[in-house]
Amino acid sequence: MVEILKNMFRRKTRTILTISGITIGIFAFVVMGSMAEKINLLVSGGTKYYKDKVIVSDKSGNAFMGAPLSIEKVKDIEKVEGVQVVQSDVTVMLEDLGTVNFGVPPMIIGSDNKGASLESFKVEIVKGKELKPDDYGKVQIGSDLVKKLNAGVGKKIKIKGKEFEVKGIMGKTLTAPDNEVFMTLRDAQEIYHDTLPQVIQSQVKPELLVTDFTVYAKKGVDPNELAKKISKEVAGVKGEGPKAFQDQVASATGILNSILFGIAAISLLVGGLSIINTMTMSIAERTKEIGIKKAVGAKTRNIMTEYLTEAGLIGFFGGVIGWALGAATVVLINNAMEASGNVIFLLTTRISVFAIAFAVILGVLAGIYPAYHAVRINIVKALREE
Amino acid sequence: MAETIIKLNRISKTYIIGTRKNASRAQKAIQKLHKSYEDECEKEDLKCKKDTEDLLEKVQELFSKEKYEESYKTVTGKTLKSRPKDRGAVVHALDNVTLEIKKGDLVAIMGPSGSGKSTLLNMLGLLDSPTAGLIYLKGMNVTGIKSKKLPEIRSNDLGFVFQSFNLIPSLTALENVMLPLKYAGIKPQKRKEMAKKALESVGLGDRLDHTPNELSGGQGQRVAIARSVVNNPAIIFGDELTGELDTKMTKEVMGLIQNLNSKGQTFIIVTHNPEVAKMCKRTILMLDGKVDKDHTNGKK
Repeated sequence: MVEILKNMFRRKTRTILTISGITIGIFAFVVMGSMAEKINLLVSGGTKYYKDKVIVSDKSGNAFMGAPLSIEKVKDIEKVEGVQVVQSDVTVMLEDLGTVNFGVPPMIIGSDNKGASLESFKVEIVKGKELKPDDYGKVQIGSDLVKKLNAGVGKKIKIKGKEFEVKGIMGKTLTAPDNEVFMTLRDAQEIYHDTLPQVIQSQVKPELLVTDFTVYAKKGVDPNELAKKISKEVAGVKGEGPKAFQDQVASATGILNSILFGIAAISLLVGGLSIINTMTMSIAERTKEIGIKKAVGAKTRNIMTEYLTEAGLIGFFGGVIGWALGAATVVLINNAMEASGNVIFLLTTRISVFAIAFAVILGVLAGIYPAYHAVRINIVKALREE
Repeated sequence: MAETIIKLNRISKTYIIGTRKNASRAQKAIQKLHKSYEDECEKEDLKCKKDTEDLLEKVQELFSKEKYEESYKTVTGKTLKSRPKDRGAVVHALDNVTLEIKKGDLVAIMGPSGSGKSTLLNMLGLLDSPTAGLIYLKGMNVTGIKSKKLPEIRSNDLGFVFQSFNLIPSLTALENVMLPLKYAGIKPQKRKEMAKKALESVGLGDRLDHTPNELSGGQGQRVAIARSVVNNPAIIFGDELTGELDTKMTKEVMGLIQNLNSKGQTFIIVTHNPEVAKMCKRTILMLDGKVDKDHTNGKK
């Protein structure tokens, strides 16, 4: 091993430049991969949340961004066959559009919580207590918003210009609820009412406003079929089941993931090619040495192992440095963004292990051609080289 | 009677350059005949052995006289059409060389440039394979031996010392000497002890951690000798090993070789230097790929 390390650093600049190539590739992989991991978790959380329910919204809006709807629609939806419970919700953005957001923007969620007992997606309260439907003036906030809202249990915080008391802080789910403020339906209705244009405000009462309904299906009823039925039987609304989420969000995420990993793959390909180049050069320079080693009894596998280990070590060093830089970048950006409630990276063990292992494997694979070339060197010709 | 370490039987090494198709076919036919000699006649069938040996002698003679069509016909019975338009050359680097090296020999191979002495050394050292002929190492036919087995043979039985020492510059003297032991699969601690002992035996016990750049020419060559003897090989080959040394250092290195030879180590040295040859027990003079003279020194 000492000999291999000595060989590696005989041409320091060249080796360092090659390691830098891998470092850039792995850095890109760690950063992009961490972003993809975060997005994937958001999507997987969404998939879990939407898997057994139907979101009903105004025909002109969509399930994930509310447009005003009358609460009176509950009665019509309840009449549809297969519906067990209809929960009224108000979903409003915590901030006005204009800030750059990766993933789900911070949201205010108000709900009458009628479907609480049927909800399969449970969120733990780590500090304080769970919000009750009559806890007016109180909120329960997601873990990523604690810093942004300077929140603590019992503390007063301002949301959309109104003061609320923090009743509970939710545990990390690594998905949408981490970026959400939960409040009673009435409080959310008032906030939503204030966001509407003056002309509309004067025509509707806040307590009649909702942005969507969460419909829980009866046992054995397919939520996608129920969504179609609601759209057909209830005027002015559309129901969207788990398939709609898959179609609108999950597939788009797949493309985004491919782009992110594609960028990292290109960087790594360049790094791999630079290893091939370095190792080929290095073998050309050491032809005589290979001849000497063969003359004193080196077997094919000895030569192969030496050069593959050297290439693997270049990959390993590049991998570790790239991972360290990537991890540092992810942590720094996450810390900086935490204050705005916009955590965009999630560096998982999976990404870390894969990044380093992949760098080593890439190094070894890139070393195969030069090492194969080394073992085929003719001893007599090699020994004649000056 | 000393044991035969290495034996060459009708070794030829021919390089065919360009499109000399008849030469190439005749060469293949001779190679086939050698293989049949090796595979079939070696099973104690003396008549077959004698017949094939006679045939081999005849066809190799014809081949070396560039009578390729006749050589081919003698082996196969088939006629090759003349190819006057074929271009290229046939170089007979070694031509039907038969040689025997005994245990404890100290042989100098001499001859002018291009006489085939280095090619002969490469054959003896199993660094190159012959076009025709058989090589026996300690009684074992190693001519057609699979290349996978060659490293093991080199590791256990053969040692090399080269003109420009051929030490690995990034390794210390000790690490250079440890190299053959590493490839022989000897454990690190044992390797270190053996290499240290070998370096002490060549008077470099105080230069273990010096790299080749920090050693003089004579010291470098002594490290190379230590590397060649460390695994106690049956035979050591030296290719112009004093070529880059001055008279004083040449004497010093040759003195060391004579000393090792007196303890039973066999050496074959290719040299241009008559003084070096004089210090050897036997001299083989090569000329045009053939053994021109082979005599024990003092008995010409």
